[in-house]
Amino acid sequence: MMEKQFQTAAKFIEKNCSADDFSFYIYKSDEQRTRYAQNMITQNMSGVKYGVGLCVAYGNKSGRASVNSLDENELKFLIKTAQDIAKLNKPDPEYVPSSSKAKIPVVNNLSDNTVKFSMKEMVDIIGRTVENAEKKKAFVSGIVTKTIGDFYLKNKNGFEGFTSGSQFENSMTLADNKTREAKVERSVKDVNDYSINKELEQLNSRFDALTEPKKIEIGKYNVILRPQAVINFFSFLLYFLERKNADNGISAFHESVGKNMFGKNFSMVSKLNEKGLTAEPFSWDGIAARDFNWIVNGVVKELYTDRSYAKKIGTEPNFIPNFIIRGGNATEDEMMKKVKNGLIINNFWYIRTVSLRKNEVTGLTRDGIYYFENGKIKHSVNNLRFNEVLHEAAKNILLLGKEDNITSSAKVPTMLIKDFTFADTTSF
Amino acid sequence: MDYLSIALDCAQSLGAEYADIRIQKTKSELIYIEDMGLKHTNMSIIHGYGIRVLKNGSWGFAHSNTFTKHDVIKTVEQAMKVAEMSAKINNRKSFTLAYERGYIDTYSTKMEIDPFKVPLKEKVELMLEVNKTMLNYAKIRSVFFVLENVNDDKFFASSLGSRIHSNISHTYPRFEATAVNEKDSQPRMFDKGGNAAGWEYVLKMNLIDKAVQTAEEAIIKLEADEPGEIRRRDLILDPFNLGLTMHESVGHPTELDRVLGWEADYAGVSFATPEKLKNYRYGSDIVNFVGDNTLPYGLATAGYDDDGVPGQKWYIVKDGILNEYGTTRDTAPLIGENLSRGCSRATHYYDFPINRIPNLYLEPGKKPLSPQELISDTEDGIYIEGKRSFSIDQHRVNFQFSGDMFWEIKNGKIIRPLKDVLYKSNNPEFWNSCDAICDERYWKDYGVFGCGKGQPMQSSNMTHGASTSRFKNIRVGGSK
Repeated sequence: MMEKQFQTAAKFIEKNCSADDFSFYIYKSDEQRTRYAQNMITQNMSGVKYGVGLCVAYGNKSGRASVNSLDENELKFLIKTAQDIAKLNKPDPEYVPSSSKAKIPVVNNLSDNTVKFSMKEMVDIIGRTVENAEKKKAFVSGIVTKTIGDFYLKNKNGFEGFTSGSQFENSMTLADNKTREAKVERSVKDVNDYSINKELEQLNSRFDALTEPKKIEIGKYNVILRPQAVINFFSFLLYFLERKNADNGISAFHESVGKNMFGKNFSMVSKLNEKGLTAEPFSWDGIAARDFNWIVNGVVKELYTDRSYAKKIGTEPNFIPNFIIRGGNATEDEMMKKVKNGLIINNFWYIRTVSLRKNEVTGLTRDGIYYFENGKIKHSVNNLRFNEVLHEAAKNILLLGKEDNITSSAKVPTMLIKDFTFADTTSF
Repeated sequence: MDYLSIALDCAQSLGAEYADIRIQKTKSELIYIEDMGLKHTNMSIIHGYGIRVLKNGSWGFAHSNTFTKHDVIKTVEQAMKVAEMSAKINNRKSFTLAYERGYIDTYSTKMEIDPFKVPLKEKVELMLEVNKTMLNYAKIRSVFFVLENVNDDKFFASSLGSRIHSNISHTYPRFEATAVNEKDSQPRMFDKGGNAAGWEYVLKMNLIDKAVQTAEEAIIKLEADEPGEIRRRDLILDPFNLGLTMHESVGHPTELDRVLGWEADYAGVSFATPEKLKNYRYGSDIVNFVGDNTLPYGLATAGYDDDGVPGQKWYIVKDGILNEYGTTRDTAPLIGENLSRGCSRATHYYDFPINRIPNLYLEPGKKPLSPQELISDTEDGIYIEGKRSFSIDQHRVNFQFSGDMFWEIKNGKIIRPLKDVLYKSNNPEFWNSCDAICDERYWKDYGVFGCGKGQPMQSSNMTHGASTSRFKNIRVGGSK
């Protein structure tokens, strides 16, 4: 339910804003974050943040301002600043009026269990984590975060939306003084869906499986990408699947809609009521969310389009409210038996675009990489650099595991991919 | 109301071993023009205070944006509660802070024209003119221009007696043109970095001339050949490419918090561990890296850091040997140092200060040498300008970097442009392969805006600098 403070601030803005058009948001974020490293707490932070942003227009001259307070004097400043900017600004030939009234879908992003979860309980989780590390004569580092947020959006043309959300997150890296380093991370809407025992079990299992790493030749390998690696790799589609760059021939998605670019085993969708997953019910610029099938069985179905470009080309705008890659039923054991040998990859790191036109990215493995042969893990491997094309990797998917929502807004499976390109090795 | 004193008195009465308060107001202007459309013209204010206390040897931090005596006291109490909670986990381990004294001082950025006072129309007209100039070329399909102006007004007070007021301004213009044909798309960016200066920094850039050059080079790159297979050859890097190269391969590995493992869960650790100090050969004899938070126009030049430690200048790598780290008051004692180098910074009032890269630069060569002479002296190489696609491992050893414009060199002459060039190397190979650095006439700074680090992610600015330099026998070529 919307706080009274939000209602008062909203009324004040509406009453005092004299522009031809306006759109504003108000948010509140109550955060508790505790960082730990080397088996001790290094930072412990607590506080509430507010934000108010206002976009106004006189004709097609627009201006924006934002402040971090709901205080009346700050709101006066906000309105005056945004209006002054708009009045002094040059006309924008691509200006789009604020969005009109829309039916906002019902999503449930808030959990009472998370709201009630105390700082002491968070610190207790760290206590368990540190205790586990000390038993293993290792060091743990990470962060536990609890965030409760409210977001309200309203504009002059009738769009109005309010949403609340909760998130609990724990990210832990266990390392020794030599080469072993393993990580697990998970964020959930409902803290009761988080089990520190289960997470520590997974962390220990990954850590214990690490041996003195061996250097291997670069080249193409079968890879089993665990969910964190899948998210980090394929989430580049959140940037690349954009329509304007595609239409301009800048990205690989030029004339891609309707074509099978990704192979039959790859489907990427957004679903508002997916079990265990949050979804944004509307975008910051006033687009109501719905379910989207972005890529189905390899065929590109939709590209996302902001309101300005959508108006220009005469289509409906859209956005990505959450990120789901559809999975299958294969277990990791089945994946290891499907191919003669390969690598299991826990995570990727520092992924950057090499070529937007080619859909190519580069990055490194991290947090544990294992060589397997004849269905069994044989040894750890030095980290590797990959240079790979997103849709080529998707075409090479051989098996899919069950979907895992390791973050509160994304759900992806483990994947077995053949011929993944490693272009360089590392010294550790 | 003297909120600084209220906070510190309250923290001390509750038993804090140390306390500080930062009242910080960050004003940011962002103008973003895509093609000829004004996508954003935004002014943002973020104002509040963060209170940090050390109790039982553990940190606690709380923040608020409500300025009343009651709220300040409540925030101190929350910070104390948080610290006490931390201490229960930390058991016998506790933080000791490096020695520092209190300062009563003020510091502000020297500038001629306050960018916030320049009429918006003037800024937008210049930006539109730049975009229009680039869009005049038929093959340029998309352009954008981003202008950021930031002002940080900060009052810092600590239980050591410090009362410091600083007022820091940064400005950062950059624009990009993307050329497209039926087979490819290639971007070219004008990006000379940000600067602790006023609008005069932008006016001196001759942006319309640079727009012509940027658009033309995007088209040249579009029609250029790829470099072929990776093979070893010489690399000549301009100061803007070197800016990010040193940021990733020298700046981050010499942040002491990373060395100590404090960033192990996300940003990573460092190969440059303490036993390597004063003996590890980081680079060739001519490689000298200086940390300098007094550098004129430097983005990390702020008078004092967020521990209240004054800006300093020191060698991080001296004559090729790892010499010192960038440190903070809570990290320095852990390697036996009594004093901090003043590298503690937070982005906003609600952020906890963390160990950041200082202004860091490569000293120019001592012998007269120009970039043209360096090219003339190179048989088989590639000259790279600007930055793009930087990626490095979490220990800061192995990297693959690209650039924004590439020129092939054969027998002392530039023979053709290239596109999609990558170079792959590692520490210590890369800096040890540095055999020539142009002299001080060619030294240029490059201000990095938005270096991301920490959990939650914080953004920080710092300046790097270099003269064009050569690296022998590096793996260079296409992506696979």
